Amino acid sequence: MSSTEPAAPARVLPGNLVVWGKYAAGMALVLGCMLLSMGSPYWLNIVTYTCLMGGLAGAWNIIGGFGGQFSLGHGVFFGIGAYTTVLLYTGMGLSPWLGMLVGAVLAAAVSLPVSWPTFRLRGPFFAIATMALNQIAFVLVNYADDWTGGPRGILVPFRAGWSNMIFIERWKYGLLMFAFMALVTAVAIAVRRSRLGYHLLAVRENEDAARAGAVDVLGVKLQGMALSAALTAIGGALFAMYLRFVDPNTVFTLAEVGVKFALLTLIGGVGTIAGPILGAILVVPMENYLRGTLGGALAGAHHIIMGALMIAFALFMKRGLVGAATDLLARWQRRRRA
Amino acid sequence: MSGAVQLEVRGVSKRFAGLLAVSEVSFAVRPGEMLCVIGPNGAGKTTLFNLLTGQLRPTAGEVLFAGAAVNELPPHERARRGMGRTFQIAKPLMALTVLENVMVSAFLKHPSRRQAEAAALLVLEEVGLLPFARRQANSLTLSEHRRLEVARALALEPKVILLDEVMAGLNPSELAQSIDLYRQLNARGLTFLVIEHNLKVVRAFAERVIVLDHGVMIAEGTAEQILSAPDVVAAYLGRRYACPPS
Repeated sequence: MSSTEPAAPARVLPGNLVVWGKYAAGMALVLGCMLLSMGSPYWLNIVTYTCLMGGLAGAWNIIGGFGGQFSLGHGVFFGIGAYTTVLLYTGMGLSPWLGMLVGAVLAAAVSLPVSWPTFRLRGPFFAIATMALNQIAFVLVNYADDWTGGPRGILVPFRAGWSNMIFIERWKYGLLMFAFMALVTAVAIAVRRSRLGYHLLAVRENEDAARAGAVDVLGVKLQGMALSAALTAIGGALFAMYLRFVDPNTVFTLAEVGVKFALLTLIGGVGTIAGPILGAILVVPMENYLRGTLGGALAGAHHIIMGALMIAFALFMKRGLVGAATDLLARWQRRRRA
Repeated sequence: MSGAVQLEVRGVSKRFAGLLAVSEVSFAVRPGEMLCVIGPNGAGKTTLFNLLTGQLRPTAGEVLFAGAAVNELPPHERARRGMGRTFQIAKPLMALTVLENVMVSAFLKHPSRRQAEAAALLVLEEVGLLPFARRQANSLTLSEHRRLEVARALALEPKVILLDEVMAGLNPSELAQSIDLYRQLNARGLTFLVIEHNLKVVRAFAERVIVLDHGVMIAEGTAEQILSAPDVVAAYLGRRYACPPS
């Protein structure tokens, strides 16, 4: 207040170099793991799925983590991406690279009218409403048999080539999923550091306080949802092209899609940048391993183990792996200072 | 015209079912003025604030800000037009750092992160929270939370600021600091509308005082006039203490 006091520093937050440096290091680490796994088709498949799920969880995290809007209906956008891409490719021969973008735009467009009424609900009521949306999409796609193939689904014919996004070498899919995860993470970092990101966090923490801070709460939620939906649709498109098959059960099963995105993020650390990726790295390989080793002897046992893990995280690590790591680091620093 | 009146209420009432919380209140705040609203608990002061800032819509009457009717505008739109407010029960963004709390509002006038950060740091320095910039908001004390409320409102760079009991519970030196800060901001042209219980603060601070009791505006005048008015004493202490000044 008096002129003798030091002037405010120009900045306190980490600069671009620090943030993007960390990003590059993290991505290099994941890419390294992928290169190591390339010799074994089994592990390559797991790493490919891990990257895809990491990216999808990261997309969910933009509205679910930053914005605090606990959507369980992201399967809708995942499905829109998958179906749009596959239908445009099989029906009109449009390259999946373009179909994927059409799907992303469509998902963002659908997310607005669908979210507008649900955003009036808070907490569990919002989550339940989004879950209902997922089930509605499931029924609609089954019903529109003529052009979605209904419950039979659609098979994408194998015609290898870059422009068709169909590869003989499986590692190319791995790179594709890695690029998706890297893209989503970069978008999440950019959002977190932008006005939209700060406003999403403000909305999550306290809507009244956000409004008093000139934040248009509904507008911010819609923006976050549209962005999250578009990225989720891209993930859906990649998933469909990886399987070369799409049917209602694979894209709209709540436990495997809508809930999974939220689950991975919760285990990794909701609202953080690294959380969705860490969640995927922990859960996806473990699930595959458990399914592989227990699947024959004790069918369904892996579901029980995954359920127990979820309960353990909900009880003891509410802030996920990232939260636990930060706490450990803080305790260690305090001990060192003492 | 808008130069003459910054903020005005015309016959504003708010009814909650059977309770008339605010009843036909009318007053105007001139630009650069420091106006205090006092009144016993439950008099409708906070309801009045919520009507002004848009958290509540009036049952009857009109709110005008900078010459325009803002009755139908949501709170964030009023904040955009230059109305900063604090909440009586502080509403910090708990999981964010103190700096990030203030940056949320600073983004209104500074769309880039660098600029918003610099602006927020200046505000933090002004309210004395700069040393806590990196701390998480949930680690602050009650009086620091109040200062954070003020910082968030100031970061909007508003025309008028509505403070809801931000000085309650401050120790004497904090109180003196706060009054100093508000005088400085006022000298720079910021209009103040303040709910305050501490009559010492009211005396030191307010150019004009209005008194609410059971939702009705029972008096308006300078601090000295108001604090010796029999009606006001009666509202606070009961009828039998309200002897006419001898």
